[in-house]
Amino acid sequence: MLFLQALLSGILTGGVYALAGIGMSLVFGVMNISNFAHGDLMMLGMYLAYFAFTLLHIDPYLSLILIMPIAFLFGFMMEKVFISRVIDHPHQNQILLTVGLGLIMSNTALLAFTSDPKILTTSYSSSAFTIPGGIYLSVPLLISFLITCCITAMLSLFLLKTSTGMALRATSQNREAAQLMGINVAKMSAIAFGIGTALAATAGALIAPTYYIHPLAGHSFLLKAFTICVLGGLGSVAGAGVGGLIIGVVESMSSTYISSDWKDVVVFVLFLAVLLLRPQGLFGKKGGQS
Amino acid sequence: MKKKLVLLVTAALLAFPLLTSAAPVKIGFINSITGKEAQIGENLTNGVAMAIEDLKAKGIQVDLVKEDDGGDPKNALAAYEKLVTRDGVIGVVGPYTSGCANVVASRADQYKVPLLVPAAAKEEITMKGYKNVFRLNAPANVYSSVLMKAVAPYKPTTIAYVYAATDFGVSTVKTAQENALKMGLREVANEKYQQGQPDYRASLAKVKAANPDLVFLVSYDADAILLMRQAREIGLTPKAFLGAGAGYTTAQFARQTEISNLVISATQWTDDVNWPGAADFALRYKAKYAKDPSYHAACAYEAMRIMVITASTAKTALKLQAALKAGVWNGIMGPVKFADYGGFTNQNNHSMLVQQISGARYETVYPAQFSKKKLIYPFKR
Repeated sequence: MLFLQALLSGILTGGVYALAGIGMSLVFGVMNISNFAHGDLMMLGMYLAYFAFTLLHIDPYLSLILIMPIAFLFGFMMEKVFISRVIDHPHQNQILLTVGLGLIMSNTALLAFTSDPKILTTSYSSSAFTIPGGIYLSVPLLISFLITCCITAMLSLFLLKTSTGMALRATSQNREAAQLMGINVAKMSAIAFGIGTALAATAGALIAPTYYIHPLAGHSFLLKAFTICVLGGLGSVAGAGVGGLIIGVVESMSSTYISSDWKDVVVFVLFLAVLLLRPQGLFGKKGGQS
Repeated sequence: MKKKLVLLVTAALLAFPLLTSAAPVKIGFINSITGKEAQIGENLTNGVAMAIEDLKAKGIQVDLVKEDDGGDPKNALAAYEKLVTRDGVIGVVGPYTSGCANVVASRADQYKVPLLVPAAAKEEITMKGYKNVFRLNAPANVYSSVLMKAVAPYKPTTIAYVYAATDFGVSTVKTAQENALKMGLREVANEKYQQGQPDYRASLAKVKAANPDLVFLVSYDADAILLMRQAREIGLTPKAFLGAGAGYTTAQFARQTEISNLVISATQWTDDVNWPGAADFALRYKAKYAKDPSYHAACAYEAMRIMVITASTAKTALKLQAALKAGVWNGIMGPVKFADYGGFTNQNNHSMLVQQISGARYETVYPAQFSKKKLIYPFKR
């Protein structure tokens, strides 16, 4: 029973991690930029869900209809105004810029919303389904997981079937060749950053009903998203999805069978093992664009 | 004309010593204004601000130098060194967290500038014989002992621990284990967790499988809400949830009635306790900040009040140390005296209170002489 409880809880939590990882991986794949503001973009999603709920009385999951386009536009503009200026610059410049943007966002939130953690309490915040065998499934986590599955499926369809999606993948595979084929890579970058931001904000909004909302809340997810990306293979959307689930399950299992205090150690030992044995990550391709 | 001038000069000369005696006393205040502990830090900031206002109203001028440690012991130590070497303060109130206070305490005797710790619970802080370290609040061992004394009449037999991997969490549970042993309680689960995680279900499921009578929790801030939500989700229902201070004593926690009702917690202070000025402080705090004061606010208020009143007559760090050691006060935290007992040095033997949440309100339920309500046991959803 403990095993099943841990496995199911791990998969459900991993689903939300996956969504955060997918956004970051997409941005890295298309733009070759590690977005260190990703956690703070998640935090913005959390606050958007919180204010949609408290001010407009919209359910946090329904509010995604509003949050996703707002976050997409925000990310699109952010790329146009800031990120595009460093796209051909060395990695350290890009890292400094995204870290700086993240700091501005979290500290602005700290000034605007204070350091009081906000708690989003819905009627189902602490409710659970009981399944035979005495296993409990958290209602908000289950809803989040199902929404994550829908969004990932839609993203995959978009990337595989639409011309913009194909152009994004082409840019991800080889930026210069894509440009030579007539793809507007600058526009693709802005779209990828917009989608990445929308996914980060969605992940934030999905976790808001079960977590607390705080200006620095995104920081604990940034490292997780980054680990997920590397584990799955930087730039691989499917890899990030699987990476998220793996991290969720490993965390839950190590909490159950070792100790909650040791779960990060187990995750990072696994992470190092993957880096040593398969440096390109689980789904990454050897010798991808540099 | 000449006579007038002589009179004026004489008056000025006579007034000069008065002016110097009214010079503000310079005190430092180290707090977690930013970082993970910022929410509780804000309570301390507000408490200190009210103390300064009250002192000014009584004609005691204070030059307060505030420093933020961000909850990081390195920053706390740097802040203390800056305050005593560059700013020239004669006494320091703070820091908030046990980790920060413990590090700063280790240097107080080197600089010989008294440090008054308002709310950090780690026992070690006042157990090393430091002459210049004073603590107002009760140390970690009292959190668990008072909670266990409150539930002892109901004869629980087993206990599980769920606590944050912080100085406060570890030291509180260590003493709780000693107290549990004395009470004959059998430990059936021990779950230490890293703060800020979104999922504690696996740990709580282990606790549930062990079926304890008591679940002893130590968490900061919003982790307390997360843990109790997830405990409800997985159907963890012991006979009592015992929350050791911090996250289980905030108004925000109490407001989550679905999960907070009947949770028992230990606290340094409540607004319905019969200590002089406690109720009035709570009323004024609520009017000023539009929220309920936590015990941290009361601790910080009283610590700053004691520090400034004592420093304003002592004038130097050396005399301040002696005056703090010799003094006795009675205010919103009850009687205060920094004494040496049971291995502690300069530790106020503060009576902790046990409170239980009932309909989003904290009600003092133990010790009997300070409480109006009776403890409800066992816990039910």
